[in-house]
Amino acid sequence: MARTRTTKKLAQRIDLNYFKRSTPLKRAKFWLSLLLPLLALVWIAWRGFSGDHRVYSSGRMSEAHAILEKGCATCHVQQASAFSAKAADSACLACHDGPIHHASQTKSLECSACHMEHRGRVNIKAASNQSCAGCHADLKAASGRLRFATHIHSFEDGHPQFAALREGASDPGTMKINHAIHMKPIRQGPTGPIVNLECDNCHRPSAAPADLTYADSKYRAAAVSYKESEEFLPAHTETLTPPHPRTGRELMAPVKFANACASCHLLTFDKRFDEGVPHDKPEIVHAFLVKKFREYIAAHASEVRVMREPSRDLTGKPPPPEVRILTPAQWVVERTAEAEELLARKTCKQCHTFVPLEKSSRRKIEISSSQPGATGISSVQPELPDIAPANITLQWMPHAKFDHGAHTGFTCVSCHEKALTSTESSDVLLPGIATCQTCHAPGPDHAESRCFECHTYHDWSKRKEVKPTFTLPALRTGKGGN
Amino acid sequence: MLEFAPSMTTAATPPGMIDITVDGRAVRVLAGTSVFDAARMNGINIPTLCHLQSQTPVGVCRLCVVDTGARVLSASCVRPVEPGMKVVTNSEKVLSARKTLLELMMSDHPSPCARQQNSGDCELETLAKAAGASPPRFAKRTVARGKDDSSLAIAVDHDACILCDRCIRGCDEIKSNFVLGRMGKGYSAGIAFDLNSPMGDSTCISCGECMVSCPTGALTNKSVVGTAIAVGPDAQGFEAEDLLQIPVFKGVSGTFLELNRGAIVKRRFRKGDVICREGEFGSTAFYILEGKAKVSISTPIAHVKTQGGAKGFFKRLTSTLVAREEDKREEETRDRTIPIDASVDLSYGNPVAELSPGDLFGEMTCMNFYPRSATVIAESDVVAFEMLRNVLDIMLKNKSFRAQLDQTYRRRALENHLRGVPMFADLSPDFIEHLKESVELQRFAPGQSIARQGDPADSFYLVRIGFVKISENYPGGEMVLAYLSRGDYFGEIGLLGGGVRTATCTALDHVELVRISGDDFRQMIERFPSVRKGLEAVAAERHAANQQRMQMVQNVPIEQFLSQGLMEAQSLLILDLENCTRCDACVNACADAHDGITRLVRDGLRFDQYLVATSCRQCRDPLCMVGCPVGSIRRRNSLEVIIEDWCIGCGLCAQNCPYGNINLHPFEVLVDDPERIGRKKAAIKQKATSCDLCTHLKEPSCVYACPHDAAHRVDPKTFFADMLGQGTAK
Amino acid sequence: MRMDRTHRGWAFASLTILAISTVIYVFYALHSRQGPRGGSTIGLIFGVIGFAFMIFAALLGARKRVPTWRIGRAQDWMRGHLWLGFLALPLILFHGGFHFGGTLTRVLMLLLVITVLSGVFGAALQHYVPRVMTAEVPLETIYDEIDHVRSLLREEADRAVESVCGPVGLAKPSNAEVQRAGGFTALRTMAASAVPLRTSAAVSAGASAAVAAAPEIILLTEEESAPLRRFYLQEIRPFLEHPERHGQHLSDAQNAASAFAGLRTLLPAAAHATLDDLEDICDEARQLQRQSRLHRWLHGWLLLHIPLSLALILLGAIHAVMALRF
Repeated sequence: MARTRTTKKLAQRIDLNYFKRSTPLKRAKFWLSLLLPLLALVWIAWRGFSGDHRVYSSGRMSEAHAILEKGCATCHVQQASAFSAKAADSACLACHDGPIHHASQTKSLECSACHMEHRGRVNIKAASNQSCAGCHADLKAASGRLRFATHIHSFEDGHPQFAALREGASDPGTMKINHAIHMKPIRQGPTGPIVNLECDNCHRPSAAPADLTYADSKYRAAAVSYKESEEFLPAHTETLTPPHPRTGRELMAPVKFANACASCHLLTFDKRFDEGVPHDKPEIVHAFLVKKFREYIAAHASEVRVMREPSRDLTGKPPPPEVRILTPAQWVVERTAEAEELLARKTCKQCHTFVPLEKSSRRKIEISSSQPGATGISSVQPELPDIAPANITLQWMPHAKFDHGAHTGFTCVSCHEKALTSTESSDVLLPGIATCQTCHAPGPDHAESRCFECHTYHDWSKRKEVKPTFTLPALRTGKGGN
Repeated sequence: MLEFAPSMTTAATPPGMIDITVDGRAVRVLAGTSVFDAARMNGINIPTLCHLQSQTPVGVCRLCVVDTGARVLSASCVRPVEPGMKVVTNSEKVLSARKTLLELMMSDHPSPCARQQNSGDCELETLAKAAGASPPRFAKRTVARGKDDSSLAIAVDHDACILCDRCIRGCDEIKSNFVLGRMGKGYSAGIAFDLNSPMGDSTCISCGECMVSCPTGALTNKSVVGTAIAVGPDAQGFEAEDLLQIPVFKGVSGTFLELNRGAIVKRRFRKGDVICREGEFGSTAFYILEGKAKVSISTPIAHVKTQGGAKGFFKRLTSTLVAREEDKREEETRDRTIPIDASVDLSYGNPVAELSPGDLFGEMTCMNFYPRSATVIAESDVVAFEMLRNVLDIMLKNKSFRAQLDQTYRRRALENHLRGVPMFADLSPDFIEHLKESVELQRFAPGQSIARQGDPADSFYLVRIGFVKISENYPGGEMVLAYLSRGDYFGEIGLLGGGVRTATCTALDHVELVRISGDDFRQMIERFPSVRKGLEAVAAERHAANQQRMQMVQNVPIEQFLSQGLMEAQSLLILDLENCTRCDACVNACADAHDGITRLVRDGLRFDQYLVATSCRQCRDPLCMVGCPVGSIRRRNSLEVIIEDWCIGCGLCAQNCPYGNINLHPFEVLVDDPERIGRKKAAIKQKATSCDLCTHLKEPSCVYACPHDAAHRVDPKTFFADMLGQGTAK
Repeated sequence: MRMDRTHRGWAFASLTILAISTVIYVFYALHSRQGPRGGSTIGLIFGVIGFAFMIFAALLGARKRVPTWRIGRAQDWMRGHLWLGFLALPLILFHGGFHFGGTLTRVLMLLLVITVLSGVFGAALQHYVPRVMTAEVPLETIYDEIDHVRSLLREEADRAVESVCGPVGLAKPSNAEVQRAGGFTALRTMAASAVPLRTSAAVSAGASAAVAAAPEIILLTEEESAPLRRFYLQEIRPFLEHPERHGQHLSDAQNAASAFAGLRTLLPAAAHATLDDLEDICDEARQLQRQSRLHRWLHGWLLLHIPLSLALILLGAIHAVMALRF
């Protein structure tokens, strides 16, 4: 009776309705397939009823808006009789003003084009390069011609060299300053035999107190009569005001004579006096000289008898008599002329540029002859020099903000290395874009290189004030907005 | 001058009489009397086996030997008396001789024989015991002569036969049927029916004479299932005498009826009574004496049809049958009549017919134990004989009864049958009439061959009852081409073609055929060319199919392939087990395609890496078709096996299928409510189902729905071809 | 299903899709103002396609419910399910630009990842396990029916033992249990008097054997059969009843073999046939045990895969709507 397996035997063991019976496996499958979706549904529904729509959030809010995490309705305002509740610009504008970039720009974008929310705890202000490149990669103007590069994709791709450094551009300033000499050790100076100048002996941000090592208190005290307009070039008009007030540390303050130069560059004029002339307009200097000599001759009447000094014979002049007896007025005139000639030829001209005579406006000097004992002898009428305005450039990059304050820790020359070699005051010592890019480049181990680092989009000068609508508790509880 | 003994003269013997002494007693008997009789008359009993009063003595058993003072002992039954004979019947010598004889016979006799077991009255064994001759001293015979079980009424055990010839004399002398005779010689000598054919197939009419005359268990009355039919108020038993009064039973052996008392009763049915119900299993046939009965198939003619997948889960749990109008199956209209187990056929549209006196029904059930094929309800009060197999058998063998049955058949059903054959449809009535007279009705016993391949074809057959197996011999063995059941016909190929039988036709069970002789056939096809055309078409078709199937069988398959019966299959549902994730998608698909009942079971034997799923294989030899009482399971021309919609759910096919591919399923159907006539009521009907290859869906759903590319319907021969190649190479 | 060369087409196609979408994504990620976002057009397209793939994959379940609908062969659906379902993941990653966003989207992404991974895992299992099962469980049957079959085995074992030891005092289950619901019960009555099958095919098909033959009775004496009886009651029966229990002596093939070998030496030759049967039965039980374990591997992962995917689809839809809203 060996066991036989035949198809029929096998088949007949099987209950023909077995597949209708439920097995644990089938039951489990059925219930789970019922339960899980149900669970999901319940979860969603519960969230829905508790009015919490955060589940649908496509990501966490930016740092700035973290407070709104709960208050979806703050921005997602349901339009009346509409299913959609997309967040519109109006929502942004309820709190923020976003002045337009350029009057002439072709398309006006909605806020979210550059400021994407729900991208995690990011800085929502940091617009992506693509946002800018959206226009600047192929720039068009609604009207007028373009003054900017038209194919900028990012700082490293398509960004032009800074304007001040492009071909043919030079420093418009008229002050003659040889950085190379000043950066070298200088023999004999006020403080010691050898002077080693540091950049910041002269260049300091305006917010920082000036370094007075080479300052002269007398000059700093003295009030000057020349105007700023004669010192600096006017500021650029199209500059976009940044949203925040300047710290005063972004840019270097212009170098002042009294603060930086005076202690080396003395303005002496005559061996009879040990003080120098004031650092001021020629007229002021002239008046100062006349006054000084008058007082002097009045005190030393015997000086009117003048000895001829062969050493001071000047060729081409008729030698004066051995001894001349002058009136004090004559004496004053002569001494003044001598001093002025000395200053004009040497001292002033060392730094300042004179306007050529023919261009200059003549000025007459009335010498007051209201002197007791003055004879009616007509004296020489000298012409005063005319000094060109300094034309110092205060801000080299009008469209970008550069903050020296953010770069403290770098030695100046590590960027401005031209300062060591520059002998011409026409040299622009501004470091090139390459210098910036050594640090400011994409990638984790580099400094921020996105557009917004240097540029502003919104013209904050055109900002309108927004009337606040939210209350803190409301936002806290997420009931904000409506 | 001769001298007389004084004693002799004492009493003169009258002329014609003879005086002898038996065991010392003076006996006077007629001249010519056998010693045996002489002794008997005088109350002296001589034991015998082969001798019967009613039969001519032959003296073969020699048991009746007596000592007559002659040189040798002589058999008293054949020894006539002689004057002055001194007979001794119980001398030492005689007794020892008898004893030896008995022992010899006993050694040749299976003890206890059938008769001894049943009734304990085997004459041989009783004698042997009496003589103390059992157990015999001699060795048992070695050669077995075998049994013959073919007759329904009488069991033949040749081993138990002692060749006394009593049966033979009974058959010839008493009944003069001349069926029985002797055959063989030596050890294998024995009795024989006709020319030694099985008793069941012989011309024996089972009168039972031989059986009653047999001294041993060689010929015994068969006890059939339920030897007696329950007798009740409406069914009374019969005495043989009463039966013999009824014309139907004219010429039936009384002895036999005697023996089978209770195997036939007379039943009365009131109007509306159910005589038999379809699908039931019975063992009796009915013969209507009076009254009319309605025969019908109550199983709704409807498909197990499916509305495809679009159903609810719970809907799918219950299946329904839909009226057949909804989808016609191809070539379904082939059968315009449903064959049933009666002399009439039921028309397809309205399966109802009437039975009247003289009709016999339930024949197949009775003879072959097929389930009832239809329901019979008494229309008026009905009186009918209900009879068991053995009785029916004698009845059928009874000439007058037969003749009468044949009459009814010819009268009522033959035309239907002829018309049932499509191409006979347009035979002219007169020719039908002619046929009605000229055809002959032939009966064949199980296993009997009707025509052998290669025989000259001389006739055309129409199956009336039973199943005929059409098979062809090929080098490998036998190849079954078809099973023909009622309404089918065969023999045309031979007649139309070379005049030689192309296939062997064998009766699978009790078969009745309508034989149309070759002449009539030729005449017919001459007169009706349409018939010829039709037949030729069918012949060609069958021939082609056979050819195609034959050449399939040429290559020799490997053992396993064979043992799993894959050879038999035409189309297998196999699951590639390396792909199959056992997800049951196929089963669900099948259920979905068939009203929630699956017709495939995802279990079975494996062949190589394939699971041969339990689903119909469209066998070449469709065993399932054998025995369908209503012929509702059949094969399409496309060779797949389908179960037609009038299946009555008897489950025979399911049982016959060797692979368990057919199953019965309960279906909810509406049937006539017996209580309230005209009303319908829901009932559960069993119907057999098997894979229908989803013919209504083009492709088997199981295959279509397999997500893992595992299920395939393949022809094993081609699919496993290379594998088989290796198999044979090994 | 098995990942064989028949998948080449699909694999190629999906790789192409993947490649194309990757290229598109990279380009788009570099050039969008805000970087990759679900909200942008391309992001949306990715999202839609990805979700479409998911839905298609999920539809496989639905398609299995209507196997008879002729809407594409189930296996094509399966391949689609495998490949497109897998593609959903990268596409959705592209959709979100590898940001996981807020709560809902995070949950979604988590679901998606788990679903896809479980799917891949499952695919791998369904690639290998069937072969293992085919190799190791030649006597496998239908998983749902294992318990039933096991009870039949128990019954058979009982009968086998009782044929040797006589009644061992075990309850016989009702006949109905042993028989199957195929409607065969109707036939049992007349099985004996059925039409004799006079054809060779029947034999060759083992149809004759299909009618189960009752074991012939070879009764042994009490002491002869004692070892078998003991072994049966102490080892075999418990094993047949609870094969899953631990510490079963027979649950290990070698142990069983040796145990039976030992038993053979103790029992007379007459009982060896029965022993073989019992060994067979134990072996079959063991295999069934193995099968159920393997089967759980084959289909257990679905418990994770299907429910998650459903939840995924559901939430995905909600996400889609809400994303369009806000």
